[in-house]
Amino acid sequence: MGLHFVVCIKSVIMEPPEGDIVRSEELLQLNPYDRPAVEAALRLREIRGGTVTTLSMGPEAGNAALAETLAMGADRGILLCDPAFKGSDTLATSTILAAGIRRLAPFDLILFGTRTADSDTGQVGPQTAVSLDIPMVTGVHSMEFMGADLQVERRMDEFIGKYLVTLPAALSVSLRSFVPGDIGLEAIEAAFEKKALETWDLNDLGLSPEMTGDAGSPTRVISMTKVKKDRTCELLRGAPAEQANELVARLKKSGML
Amino acid sequence: MNTGLTRKQRLVRSSVRSFCERELRPIAGEIDQEARFPWEVVEKMGRLGYFGIQAPKEFGGAGMDSLSYSIIIEEISRVSASVGLCVTVHNSVGLYPVLAFGSEDQKTRWAVPLARGEKIGAFCLTEPNAGSDARGIESTAVLKGDQFVINANKVFVTNGGVADICLIFVKTGVPGGAVKVSVVVAERGTPGFVVGDLEDLCGMRANPVSSIRLYDCAVPESNLLGRDGDGLKIGLAALDAGRMGIAAQAVGIGQGALEESLRYGKQRRQFGVPIEKHQAIQMMLADMATQVDASRLLVYRAAGLRDRGEPFSQAAAMAKLYASEASCRVTDMAVQIHGGYGYSKAYAVERYYRDARVTRIYEGTSEVHRMVIFRGLLGK
Repeated sequence: MGLHFVVCIKSVIMEPPEGDIVRSEELLQLNPYDRPAVEAALRLREIRGGTVTTLSMGPEAGNAALAETLAMGADRGILLCDPAFKGSDTLATSTILAAGIRRLAPFDLILFGTRTADSDTGQVGPQTAVSLDIPMVTGVHSMEFMGADLQVERRMDEFIGKYLVTLPAALSVSLRSFVPGDIGLEAIEAAFEKKALETWDLNDLGLSPEMTGDAGSPTRVISMTKVKKDRTCELLRGAPAEQANELVARLKKSGML
Repeated sequence: MNTGLTRKQRLVRSSVRSFCERELRPIAGEIDQEARFPWEVVEKMGRLGYFGIQAPKEFGGAGMDSLSYSIIIEEISRVSASVGLCVTVHNSVGLYPVLAFGSEDQKTRWAVPLARGEKIGAFCLTEPNAGSDARGIESTAVLKGDQFVINANKVFVTNGGVADICLIFVKTGVPGGAVKVSVVVAERGTPGFVVGDLEDLCGMRANPVSSIRLYDCAVPESNLLGRDGDGLKIGLAALDAGRMGIAAQAVGIGQGALEESLRYGKQRRQFGVPIEKHQAIQMMLADMATQVDASRLLVYRAAGLRDRGEPFSQAAAMAKLYASEASCRVTDMAVQIHGGYGYSKAYAVERYYRDARVTRIYEGTSEVHRMVIFRGLLGK
């Protein structure tokens, strides 16, 4: 019967334009940190059989990234989309994803990227695991089945930690560990032909509006301003020895030497 | 006119771009300099379906539409026009005529391996004394028993050095009778099939453009594509498809040169500021972007017409004419922005500049296209 792998993905904006951000499909793409998680699920499916479902919360445009995961090889994609989800912080997002995952039960392994390229918190995976009350290992770079359990490795500074995880469990997958293959044209055609995308809203998930969106979010983003880098380049002139003396003098003056 | 791409077309663009950036970008300069055909990348492209973009699935293709085809050719050419040339010629004038005019048996024999990228196709029309004037070809195929005996001298054959399945335009018919132009397929390896030296070209150097000569080369009578005398019809249909590919290629070259110039404009400093702060450079970048975009829209329009089953010949001719000339202007400005470095092989715009030039010549010169467009205006 195989295992049920659920991969949570996000559509992110890689190149934010000036001013207000409209999450249009042209600007959105599949979070690069999520690709290894999808790839890991596909490889585990190769070994144990089963299905890979990808799950994403966001606007309708998020279907593009889900379609891409189908082209990568996922079996089914679910978009969690409802006006009530707008403004969700990481906690509300985790609540919504957990509700989606419960609806997908039975499940065996929930996979996440380590972070997102746009908001970069790394909180959604762990919070979702807590919400589902399942164990989680983050930043995993290798995994191997040991009987019914999964042995995973994660790197922490100078150490490699090995864990034996009993399923169901959650993992976040490190960026460079599972490099996805190229997507062929036939796979793209097949992804759009199989019509394996669904959208679930607030009612489908059995959530109430105060648990999601602004209402369900204990944190608020007050402002987001671009950091200005005041770096300037100055060329020192003169003979090499003079330049070196000038450089040393300046470094001393600035307190760096 | 809706020029927005569908979700599927956008995924086609992003996946092809990602492949080309990773696999082709690092070697694009080197394969041009070494005039080397990048088999290692081409084989991967075959596995990804780039050699059977529009071929139906039952013949091993991806079954995509013309707009996706244009996007793919643009994206490959944005990185390496030589490889874009290989793919567009193979798809549009190698594989497409087999699909459009071939018998079921011919499609199984040739279209399937072509679409899977296991074999490479070539279109052999041009001769030392005939190009734009296709009726003026001198190559012949004479039916002897159940075989055609071909004698042909074809030049400037794109993919010539690597092609397995070649569409040879020949004169058929009896001496003294009406001149018929037909297409007979000759496969590499057949006795009498000779690949000549590679052409030493100004641009598109990673494509093995060569001559192909056939000396008393005997092929089965069943290698006749379409009917005896269908050659001009097949040629025109193939070139309609081919034009869109070349137009898309020109868009890709222009886009690549524009991106290089935008990057250089930020890096290069003169008079204390990045050169993009100078109005003269800004004007050129604005003109380049506008012309690349206009070219792209013409290509999309022609592709859209074709996808809807409407006449697209005139639109394809306009797209090819405009996009090829625009890519020459755009790459010229790119060299100008780069100054002396733009004239050096150390910078990619030098290659784009050389590659752009031939888009005004092959698959119908600009002048022939103007003739075609004018005839279209007269409704002829």
